[in-house]
Amino acid sequence: MTIKFDRIAAVAFLVVGVLFMVASKQLSSTSYGSVVGPDIFPFILGIILVLLSIRLFFESLTSSPGEGKKESIQYKPFLIILAATLVYILTLEIVGYVITTFLFLCICFQTMERSKWVTSLIISAAFSGVVYVLFVEVLKGTLPGWPIWF
Amino acid sequence: MSTLEYLFQGFGTALIWYNLIFAFVGVLIGTAVGVLPGIGPMSGVALLIPVTASITGGLPPEQAATSAIILLAGVYYGAMYGGSTTSILLNTPGESSSVVTTLDGYQMAKKGRAGSALSIAAIGSFVAGIVTIVALIVLAKPLSNVALKFGPAEYFSLMLLGLGAVSGLAGKSVTKALIMTVCGLLLGTIGIDNVSGIARFTFDVPWLYQGIEFLTIAVGLFALGEVFKTILEKEEEDMEIARINNLLPSKEEFKESAGPIARGSILGFFVGILPGAGATLASFFSYILEKKISKNPSKFGTGAIAGVAAPESANNAASGGAMIPLLTLGIPGSGTTAILMGALMMYNVQPGPLLFEDHPQVAWGLIASMFIGNIMLLILNLPLVKVFAKIIQTPKKYLLPMIIAISIFGVYAVQVSTNDLLLLLACGILGYFFSKHDYPIAPLVLGLVLGPMIENNLRRALTISNGEYSVFVTRPISLAFLLITVLWLVVPFLMKKRGKEVVINIEG
Repeated sequence: MTIKFDRIAAVAFLVVGVLFMVASKQLSSTSYGSVVGPDIFPFILGIILVLLSIRLFFESLTSSPGEGKKESIQYKPFLIILAATLVYILTLEIVGYVITTFLFLCICFQTMERSKWVTSLIISAAFSGVVYVLFVEVLKGTLPGWPIWF
Repeated sequence: MSTLEYLFQGFGTALIWYNLIFAFVGVLIGTAVGVLPGIGPMSGVALLIPVTASITGGLPPEQAATSAIILLAGVYYGAMYGGSTTSILLNTPGESSSVVTTLDGYQMAKKGRAGSALSIAAIGSFVAGIVTIVALIVLAKPLSNVALKFGPAEYFSLMLLGLGAVSGLAGKSVTKALIMTVCGLLLGTIGIDNVSGIARFTFDVPWLYQGIEFLTIAVGLFALGEVFKTILEKEEEDMEIARINNLLPSKEEFKESAGPIARGSILGFFVGILPGAGATLASFFSYILEKKISKNPSKFGTGAIAGVAAPESANNAASGGAMIPLLTLGIPGSGTTAILMGALMMYNVQPGPLLFEDHPQVAWGLIASMFIGNIMLLILNLPLVKVFAKIIQTPKKYLLPMIIAISIFGVYAVQVSTNDLLLLLACGILGYFFSKHDYPIAPLVLGLVLGPMIENNLRRALTISNGEYSVFVTRPISLAFLLITVLWLVVPFLMKKRGKEVVINIEG
């Protein structure tokens, strides 16, 4: 598992390194005046990254597969929470902080453990309300509070 | 002005009522962070940066920086106190620097001596905290005076040394650690170039012009990454918490632990100063040392009080020692201090030799507040340890979603951009995969924080020398730093080749 990940990661880092090298070479024409332009540092780093990723690839070839630890990985709650977080982020500016945070917390609490609806509702409401009031009213911060169509 | 005068001024700053509250909140949250398994000092500090930034928003810049750093540093050393609680009561270290404490601490708890183990841990941490603050006060000025003589070439090499040391000790594979470092440095080059004003790697996206925000990356990789890890690898655990009986250790126990506390403090302090080595290594070394010099080493592992006193003093001393390179040289030696440095830079306060000249209020205020914070921690931890032990029972059901909500709130409050939130989420997922496959995260954050400074010094040095790269090896101090960097990376590698086990530092 780790070895497979390492190989994919090695290729990905190699690509990133090459991209940075190419992109920094395109920068050089725009710099003037100084002996060392803005391209040198990222270019050197790109080379180092390429070399390191090649080494990582060979290390992953030679290393023997580690002990097969069986972990029970809980994909379902994770994916639900991940999706909830994504929706939360995307709707934050449109629907506003208070409603989105409340819904997000409710969903996550219940995903983690399906019990005690009332406690979840109270904690979610309290969290979103308290954070909003403290931040916007007391500290005068910027936070989209309510839906934009209000 | 003399050091003492500055120190008194520092106390003046630290004793302002709101700074006292900041210090108190910092150490309180720090203890909680230390107690809760799953959140380490790094994610705790990262999570709190945006929160403190919004709270201190109303203060003048320098005072805001002082108050914020007082709180964040409080979280850092407070976590060192809290970590021992779960190690002793549950046999589960709250953070990695307390792993060694479980060996003897849990055995003591099993024998009904949990109370004295906890109070010796708290007293040891306190003594170590005070020792390091005194050492910090004595060493700060002379060290920053030395550092003031450094030119750009020396600085470049010194920063390389810092990066190399952290990467060399950061994980199972040096290659992976170095890759993470380079990635951090590359991320740091995105945005408008400081020297020439050219936009680099921005693809004409306006959001990228100001660069990748360190805060977003740190919160995402550390805090969200850890939350995702806990959700994915959910362990149903119903552990019994050992009962705490008498809190006061007996006279004998005091006598037995006095030596280990003293040795642990001094050893921990020096290990803490070294870049790359941190609290985890310090606690490990001090435990080994105690075992070596003990008259009957067989007692260790069965509930020897020295096995609790020494590592707990050492990890707290190391967290103080780690402040020295940060404050005097501007080089963070660990993930947590890198985050603290990023926090200071957010307030436009540049840690380094000039910190004591330009912002004495920040530097001395912080040092004085560490003194006050340690006293607060001793008071908090001795009688209230039972309350903190209850925190362990906080259901993860409520804790984890709230950490996600706090990260999102915090990043949005500071950045006010949905793009940053998306980057945050992406970093969270990446953080999970990285730590699962032994890619250490601390070097990446360190690279991101140090990147722009390294580049500036490199280019300044090369401009002065007219493009001659030999400047780094002809100047003796610079050459020495570079040689140490190479040794630091090569020696562990050679030792591994010869089949020796190399102690690594995992800070989480």
